[in-house]
Amino acid sequence: MTPARRHHPYVLLAPTVAVLLVFFVYPLLLAGYRSLFAWDLLTSPRYVGAAHYRELWRSGALAATLGRTLGYSAITVGAASSLGLLLAVQLNREGAIYGFVRGAVFSAYIVSWVAVGLLWLWILDGDAGILAAATGRLGLPAIAWLADPDTALAALAGVTVWKITGYAMVIFFVGLQDIPDSVLEAAAIDGARPWRRFRYVTWPLLRPTAAFVTTTSLILSFQAFDIVRVMTQGGPIEATTVFVYAIYESVFMNLRVGRASALTVVFFGLLLALSALQLWGWRSGRRGAGRP
Amino acid sequence: MTVALTRRHLAGLAATLAGGCAQRRRRPPPGEIHLWFTYGGRNRTVLLDLVDRFHAAQAQVRVKATFQGDYFEGLVKLRTGLFVGAAPSVTHVIGEVVPYLAEAGVLARLDEVGEEVVDDLDPALAQSGTFVGGDGRPLWALPFNRSTPVAFFNRAHFAEAGRTTAPATWSEMREVARTLTRRRGPRGPTARWGFECPVAWWFWVALVGQAGGQIVETDGRVSLGDAAGVDAIAHWQAMIHEDRSMKPPPGRDYNAWEATNRDFLAGRVSMIWTSTAFLSYLTEHAPFPLGVAPLPRRDRYSVPTGGTFFVVPAVVRGPEREAVLTFLRFMMSPEVSNHWATQTGYMPVSRRGRRRLRDEGFFARHPNFDVTLQQLTYAAPWPWASDLFRIQREAVQPRLERAVLAHGDAAATLSEARDALHTLGPEERRSP
Repeated sequence: MTPARRHHPYVLLAPTVAVLLVFFVYPLLLAGYRSLFAWDLLTSPRYVGAAHYRELWRSGALAATLGRTLGYSAITVGAASSLGLLLAVQLNREGAIYGFVRGAVFSAYIVSWVAVGLLWLWILDGDAGILAAATGRLGLPAIAWLADPDTALAALAGVTVWKITGYAMVIFFVGLQDIPDSVLEAAAIDGARPWRRFRYVTWPLLRPTAAFVTTTSLILSFQAFDIVRVMTQGGPIEATTVFVYAIYESVFMNLRVGRASALTVVFFGLLLALSALQLWGWRSGRRGAGRP
Repeated sequence: MTVALTRRHLAGLAATLAGGCAQRRRRPPPGEIHLWFTYGGRNRTVLLDLVDRFHAAQAQVRVKATFQGDYFEGLVKLRTGLFVGAAPSVTHVIGEVVPYLAEAGVLARLDEVGEEVVDDLDPALAQSGTFVGGDGRPLWALPFNRSTPVAFFNRAHFAEAGRTTAPATWSEMREVARTLTRRRGPRGPTARWGFECPVAWWFWVALVGQAGGQIVETDGRVSLGDAAGVDAIAHWQAMIHEDRSMKPPPGRDYNAWEATNRDFLAGRVSMIWTSTAFLSYLTEHAPFPLGVAPLPRRDRYSVPTGGTFFVVPAVVRGPEREAVLTFLRFMMSPEVSNHWATQTGYMPVSRRGRRRLRDEGFFARHPNFDVTLQQLTYAAPWPWASDLFRIQREAVQPRLERAVLAHGDAAATLSEARDALHTLGPEERRSP
């Protein structure tokens, strides 16, 4: 389709571009600029060059925060995607009961993070929580999930998996609906058992969907904040100080604008890389599946 | 040379941008002042009630009070407000940041509030006694909700153990906490903890003082208590890891405080350390007879003071400033000070007001309130150090948590914290 006038596409794009420039590009450039200064909002900014980046690197804070974030993301994305796929395959059937279960699983996704955090605070309480009571009855040792530095991050990841699995399930479910029945029937006629049909027919056709689910879940998990703020505030012993919370803490607790800006720039770089990964996964999935 | 020039240019550009972004302050309409406050719940209700009383008492000044989150969030908003020209007429900040704000030149002097008001303030709670050398400085802050840490105990649990009083020494505290702790089997969860306290700076400072130390020495050296600091950490470590009688609450900062209160009210812990600020709240909600006691001693009794001070931004001038002073005189008055204190649990800052309470028999009827005031005799002043806030937030607090919860080497932890004071980051390194 050819536009009536050459400038029409630009006019139509202008509002979106303006919003992106004002609310995304400009703040990002400003963060990059601020990261070169030591500034506490009270006294004049002082140029320090790359000192914040060096400090983050040298102190090990960057590596530690990144490690925690990646660990949290690995559990979250791996478990939520696998469970989502499993549920989607099992619930991809006609019937009210399946619809109800799909709705029930997805409902966790639409509940606010704060409500989810408060709910799981009760469940995971080491002394009075439901989980502690259950493990106690089984004769297992009580675990203070959120108070133990060795378990706190995994506990938060578990809560996140509980919340976002419904999202993964719905996306996979839509992907499954998109697969023509005739293809699966043809495979069945050729003697393919259910597992082989899934392995050689369903999964290749679901790959773009899987790439989408994993990368969006990865980005979502990288942006974790609410759950940390409500449940652990980054503790114990910084065990749950993931990237966005570290940025928040730098500004709102420690009043360091420059350091927080440096963290933001690094974080942006990581998200950019993840977005590239998403694009690559999506494109290679399309090529692999041989679909238009 | 090129680099230096670039740096100068960038610094100039930064200052220009900062100046460009910083706007001329928007003043409230004549006769109106803006108060930013930073607490919710009962304290918020009482404060807003006092604002209403102020409005009823006079017609010239109207106070628009706005909630700004917790203390830390309020502090960031204050700084942002100062920068963008939207600072409030008056707000309140924690004591640890008063020197920082004052040295940065963003606070207005409050001497004009009047000698009668200043002389009536309890020195231990006012700027004069809260900070070392606080009386020799211009008046930057007026006490508002002032507190100390105090011990709350469940008298029913104590009676089970044959006790009527709280422990008075560290060793007694360990013994009592051990005795009161109950477990559901050797591997099961703890049904009841003897003691709970947030692993936080404020309570650690109390322990340091009790062990005979101080955070900053008289010569200005940040010692973090030296041996006393180590002993303070070791005391908590022993109660958590050896005795297993102290529960470190989940969460951090004020979330940990709330968790401590919840556990105590639910009967899951027999004794807690928390702020006097919760005296009324715990008294009202405890379904058991509540005991209040001073913190125990090791070498001596000692408590830091806490809570907040009223401060006024330096940009508040003219009639607006006069209106703020009118409001502050009202808030410092004996009647208001008493109402605030008796309704919340914070300390009454007016000496005349306190005498009145005693004469009226208030303390005889509410002996728990009197305990908190008696403990004030042992209040230790804070150093007037502009980096006190950073010592707290970045040097000590994260390491304290690591040392206590992970049972790290206490001496090495404090040594690392002292070293960290020199390498906190570019914000603190004033030399280029």
